Amino acid sequence: MREEIQRIKQETLKQLEMLKSPAELQELKVKVMGKKGSLTALLKQMGSLSPEERPKMGQIINEVRNQLEKAWELKEKELEKEALAKRLEEERIDISLPGFYRPRGHRHPLTKVIEEIEDIFLGMGFTIAEGPEIETDYYNFEALNLPKDHPARDMQDTFFITEDILLRTQTSPVQVRTMEKLKPQLPVKIIAPGKVFRHDDDATHSPMFHQVEGLMVDKGVRMSDLKGILLYFSRQMFGENREIRLRPSFFPFTEPSAEVDVSCILCGGEGCRLCKGTGWIEILGSGMVHPRVLEAGGYNPKEVTGFAFGMGVERIAMLKYGIEDMRLLFDNDIRFLEQF
Amino acid sequence: MRVSMKWLKEYLDINISAEELAEVLTRGGIEVEGVEYLNKGFENVFIGELIELQSHPDAEKLQVCVADIGREQLTIVTGAQNIRLGDKVPVAVPGAVLPGGKEIKPVKLRGIESNGMLCSAKELQLEGVGLDRSKDGILILPPEAPVGTPLEKYLGLNDQVLELELYPNRPDCLAMVNVAREVGSLLGKKPVLPEWAQGEVPIWPEEIKQKVEIENPELSWRYSALLVEDVVIKPSPLWMQNRLRAAGIRPINNIVDITNYCMLEMGQPLHAFDRDKLKGAIRVRLAQEGEKIITLDGMERNLDPDMLVIADDNGPVAIAGVMGGLETEVTHQTTRVLFESAHFLGASIRRTSRKLGLRSESSSRFEKGVNPYWTVSTLGRVAELLLELEAGVPMTFTEKVAYLPPEVAIELKMANVNNVLGVDYSEKDVEQVLEALNFAYRKQPGGIYLVNIPTYRQDLRIEEDLIEEVARIQGYDRIPTTLPSGSQTQGRRTPEQAFRLHLRKLFIQAGMDEVLTYSFVKKEQDDLWGTGQSIPLLNPLREELAIMRTSLIPGLLEIASRNTARRNTDLLLFEIGNVYWPKELPLKELPREVTKIAGLVQGQSKRHWLAPQVKYDFFYLKGILDEVARASGMEFTYRRLTSEKYQKLLHPGRSAEIVLQGEVIGFIGEIYPQLDEEWGLERPVLFELDFAALFRNCNLTIRAKSYPRFPAIQRDLAVVVPDGVAAENIKKRVKELGGELLKEVEIFDVYKGESIPKGHKSLALSMRYQSEERTLTDEEVNSIYTAILQAIQQEFGAEWRK
Ligand SMILES: [Zn+2]
Repeated sequence: MREEIQRIKQETLKQLEMLKSPAELQELKVKVMGKKGSLTALLKQMGSLSPEERPKMGQIINEVRNQLEKAWELKEKELEKEALAKRLEEERIDISLPGFYRPRGHRHPLTKVIEEIEDIFLGMGFTIAEGPEIETDYYNFEALNLPKDHPARDMQDTFFITEDILLRTQTSPVQVRTMEKLKPQLPVKIIAPGKVFRHDDDATHSPMFHQVEGLMVDKGVRMSDLKGILLYFSRQMFGENREIRLRPSFFPFTEPSAEVDVSCILCGGEGCRLCKGTGWIEILGSGMVHPRVLEAGGYNPKEVTGFAFGMGVERIAMLKYGIEDMRLLFDNDIRFLEQF
Repeated sequence: MRVSMKWLKEYLDINISAEELAEVLTRGGIEVEGVEYLNKGFENVFIGELIELQSHPDAEKLQVCVADIGREQLTIVTGAQNIRLGDKVPVAVPGAVLPGGKEIKPVKLRGIESNGMLCSAKELQLEGVGLDRSKDGILILPPEAPVGTPLEKYLGLNDQVLELELYPNRPDCLAMVNVAREVGSLLGKKPVLPEWAQGEVPIWPEEIKQKVEIENPELSWRYSALLVEDVVIKPSPLWMQNRLRAAGIRPINNIVDITNYCMLEMGQPLHAFDRDKLKGAIRVRLAQEGEKIITLDGMERNLDPDMLVIADDNGPVAIAGVMGGLETEVTHQTTRVLFESAHFLGASIRRTSRKLGLRSESSSRFEKGVNPYWTVSTLGRVAELLLELEAGVPMTFTEKVAYLPPEVAIELKMANVNNVLGVDYSEKDVEQVLEALNFAYRKQPGGIYLVNIPTYRQDLRIEEDLIEEVARIQGYDRIPTTLPSGSQTQGRRTPEQAFRLHLRKLFIQAGMDEVLTYSFVKKEQDDLWGTGQSIPLLNPLREELAIMRTSLIPGLLEIASRNTARRNTDLLLFEIGNVYWPKELPLKELPREVTKIAGLVQGQSKRHWLAPQVKYDFFYLKGILDEVARASGMEFTYRRLTSEKYQKLLHPGRSAEIVLQGEVIGFIGEIYPQLDEEWGLERPVLFELDFAALFRNCNLTIRAKSYPRFPAIQRDLAVVVPDGVAAENIKKRVKELGGELLKEVEIFDVYKGESIPKGHKSLALSMRYQSEERTLTDEEVNSIYTAILQAIQQEFGAEWRK
């Protein structure tokens, strides 16, 4: 019987070695340890043994049984591991295939830039003012120290609707409208983004374009403050290393007036194609609010001073995004828009 | 204004390149557009004399000449026919590169070697040079032109011209003497100007020889005239011609050239009349109804009663400040000339010139403002030049002065300079500026300067103007960088501004691309889609941009059409912008500017290996709108169009009015069949929404609720209903019938096809039952389910699909 036990053990271990699947493993288990299994059969024969032999044999059988169980367990794990390895191999995917996504939409570069400008000035305590796009001659010109027949009106070709109603040529009318609304409150600190219109249409001019106006009125506002605010803006917009410079200029509604240049965003001031070798790029017009404009807004120029500035959004967007042809901004080709 | 460096250096002792000066001016507030080298392309062009001239033996149309250019004699073959033996002509020798870029090399023409080229005025880009014959080909120089001299030297082209881009506040810099003053003050150099350039000559006693009346003194303050006799009309000397050309003015004859030359020097426009063609007194008056004049350019002009003219007894002889009349023009027969040097009000000249569509060097100067103090001194300069050029004998001056603006003195306070600029200038700094500008001033106690403003600086009227002068001459770079010191303010968007941004971002998240279109569109298209009450522009750029839009749709269609034509056919576009609704037409007050949100979708999603393509159709867009509404705390409902107008523009079966709180706030729909073809589009779906209505109803506040503690029970229900039954109605009724335990109903499948009877559709609804207080039992839910099924079977003729 002992030999028989050893034989079953050897045989089973040998077979176990060659098993390939959990099913075969199960089958073997039944064959050896099932109700009709070979080891079970031996157990049944235990009755015929002498009482001294019985416990010894019982122990031997149990030992073999335990050994086989352990072997089985090991084999089971091994098979599992093999199966997992196989599955991992089978489930291998081509990771170079494109992922799935739901495409997002795109902001128009101009509203994107406007929002960015807004955020910079909101951060400096400015609020956003708005005004009508169809304006009266009074707010667009006269209140800005541009009486009828003033030669400076030629600087801006105007779309007229009637003799006194026109498409605003600048966002500056919002200056006087805002002051009228807020007077005598101080300080006035607003920016006013929006559409403006000029009778012009060529490679570098669009009949409709966008400006952002800025206005600050308070006791003791200085031109050096204007410089400070614009330097901060330029660095936020174009990078920390930017410098600005002011050049004397003329706007009817500011005195003194200044054109503002920012150090070239491409070459940093060395001189390149973008800045035409000067190292500087003109980005906006500005100045101290003309006393007559303060008066028109209901403030006393003897008591308060202010600064104002106005920038072309298209120009800022073109500089910021490296857009070379302004017409692209109004062409609305989705291949262009999808970059923003 | 074109400023010749050579001319400028006559007044100012400066040693500075044109480019350096351009930089100084630009930093000083006078923008320089460019620097032009007048001699560009004139190297290797010499004055030659044609010492031999004969026909080409082998070519009928060619001539062979020998040109003597001093250092050598060149054989040149030419096609020109206007040359004669002995002519002085420009000869470009091999190596020359003409202004137009043409390179000169020796060539063989029909067997004869040609060693250079005779040049035409056009090839040299010279206008108004040479004898009359030059028109027909080669430029023929006057006989006295020195042989062998480089042409650039002879024509004074070894010069650079600065092109000043003047702001409207500096018309004074339209005069060379004032440019010299400006450059002087920026460089700290005093210009040396002749006496006449000092300007302010005392008013002359009235003379009787030529009677002058100013009938409209509000439009003309001063009229001065100089009578000249024994006039000899001839070309002006070369130096004068060269300077005129450098300034961009074509030389004509000595008399006309003197008027232009003095205008350039002093900024005062002048006009020369043939005195013998004037009859009686000169009147400066408004034109009378029906009056006409033929101007120097040969055009007949109808005059309006608000146009200022110069008239004699017979009627208008000139349109004041704009252009003279042909009848009184100076001609070769003229022997007596009356030079006019007058003031006309800029605004009046501007109106007249616009109305007539006639601009001249004179009108553009008057528009910007001419110094009324200098009429006489300019005539003094004219007299001087007439004698110098032996062009005539000045006889008498005459003038009428209606008004002269008082001379201006401005108080400039040190404190204000420093406070406005944010600088810390000393009195010395300010005085330095006043002296550089050559402004006389009196220093008063308390740091106050009383500054006399010279008459040519009409732009300086208030203290701020002078503060700018101080800043400018000291240099804007001296202004420090500070931050405002006043009270702190908080910047934030208004709720409306924030909501606009919120919507914009929602549409972007939904995958739509933002576009931006012109506010003006074509009337025909706007009438179709908008209110039909659009505001026309008086002066549109073109017909396609003639009116202010009342709808955003035409702009979107245009963009979609353009994109589709470029094969960008899959489109998800939206725009947020204003439309313009007049209260009445023609416009008496500002119109309502109404913000709209509109969009257009067309095509389908991109192909992807993982997912099927989704069509950008009605439901795709509706889903986006519903999500935008949900994310804004609102819910849209949809109903079939009631507007007849949209029923013709949108597919009646695939369109809807969008309703919010009982109010129609927009529409959605597929474009009407065939309308899309007109735009080259394929079944685009459009929407337009009213921003104000959305803003009124939106609710962006979030009130968070905890999730229910008891499990939910899910049931699906599929029914077959006739096509005419709206899914939404079934959904609504199911919700009602389910009572408060039915938390959610969704339509998750719609099916038409084989197993469904014709004219019917199958709808599948998913329902979620849940109680806040207890766990529901199957029996409970089953009984509600059965009740729902029975009710919709009866009410909608629905059939249960197991
Ligand atoms: Zn650069």
